Amino acid sequence: MQDLITFLVLLTFGYGFGRVIEARHYKSIISRENKFRGIPAVAIKVPPLGRPFTVALVQGNVVISVDYFKRFLAGLRNLFGGRVTSYESLLDRARREAILRMKEQAASQGAKLIFNVKLTTSSISQGRRGQIGSVEVLAYGTAIIE
Amino acid sequence: MQYSNPHIPEGINTSQQNPLREFAILTGGLLVIVVVVALGLSLLVDHFANRIPFSAEKALTRRFETTTASQEMETYLNTLAQQLAQAQDLPPEFSIKVHYVDADTINAFATLGGNIVMFRGILERLPNENSLAMVLAHEIAHIKHRDPIRGAGRGVVIALALTTVSATLSNAVTDQVLASGGLLTALQFSREQESEADATALESLTRHYGHVDGADALFEVLEKESSSMAPPEFFNSHPGTETRIERIHQFATTLTGPEKIELTPLPPRFSDWFKRKEKKPAGASQRLP
Repeated sequence: MQDLITFLVLLTFGYGFGRVIEARHYKSIISRENKFRGIPAVAIKVPPLGRPFTVALVQGNVVISVDYFKRFLAGLRNLFGGRVTSYESLLDRARREAILRMKEQAASQGAKLIFNVKLTTSSISQGRRGQIGSVEVLAYGTAIIE
Repeated sequence: MQYSNPHIPEGINTSQQNPLREFAILTGGLLVIVVVVALGLSLLVDHFANRIPFSAEKALTRRFETTTASQEMETYLNTLAQQLAQAQDLPPEFSIKVHYVDADTINAFATLGGNIVMFRGILERLPNENSLAMVLAHEIAHIKHRDPIRGAGRGVVIALALTTVSATLSNAVTDQVLASGGLLTALQFSREQESEADATALESLTRHYGHVDGADALFEVLEKESSSMAPPEFFNSHPGTETRIERIHQFATTLTGPEKIELTPLPPRFSDWFKRKEKKPAGASQRLP
């Protein structure tokens, strides 16, 4: 019985905090995306400009932890199959946040464009059972500074 | 060439649905599956438990030998139990051992290995030997019907199944939740098992005493003790006491016997045998699984 109460409390906390933090994070992501819209980040590999310019490596890195509720929901999905929607928003936030941080770095160097943008994703607690997992996303690219 | 990162609408890479909805559907589905599987497994176990030899059951409980609070009481209870077991045609490989526990609990129960535990609480309240014999015969009937091993088998199998499911969920806490939930269900006998045990007990009382008078005294005791907070019959594993008394009276009308029936009194020194001790013995109730 005590286990059940602990479990429900953890689940409620996970859901409550997870929802609030996610909503706040999305709000911040959307406003900063508007702010940095002037510095496009594109995946094209060839430098697009004909004029002389300098380049610099820019990168943005973020680690986000999954909450208890999301993990439990994903565990249930393991059993039934289907879209793991509880992890989709987590990864979406991580990717966008990493790109934003990369753009912030580019903006501080006065860059106009980032090309050859790549994203890598890794699980921080991979292979460790019974651990709440975190996801790391690294975005990197070549900034063009005129 | 012009490059841009246009505004992309939300909700393409993520789901806008409230996760609680998904949670409700998935947990609901899981619970339905668990209940169905558990029911199926208990039916299977019920079917196969009879094939587990009684000697295996005894071997399980052999290491739980207990000391007794009162040798006289235990000797008396065991003698009566042997007589009732004979009246019940208990197969010879079944052995009954009654344990007396010096505690106020108004209860008695049968468990694995032919062990029966009688608490002082219930013995003190029984007015005659007939009602005491009803308790003993009821518990012996459980052993005869293999109810303890069916219950334990059910518990083990369900706990095993649930652990497998929760291992898939890879969550240490749900592991425990599911496993303890499965064990809880194993500790009680079903209402059918209780009714059958009552019926067998009444038959053996008829064989031993020639009548079933006095048996209802047991249920009057139980009713008196629990009348204030008696749960509805549906929620209880035992049939309602009124139903049980009624069944005894019904059974009695089918018997033809002497007009005047004398109840068998308890032995004269019965009350001396309780031996309330300062220190509580390590009761079998705590140590038997």
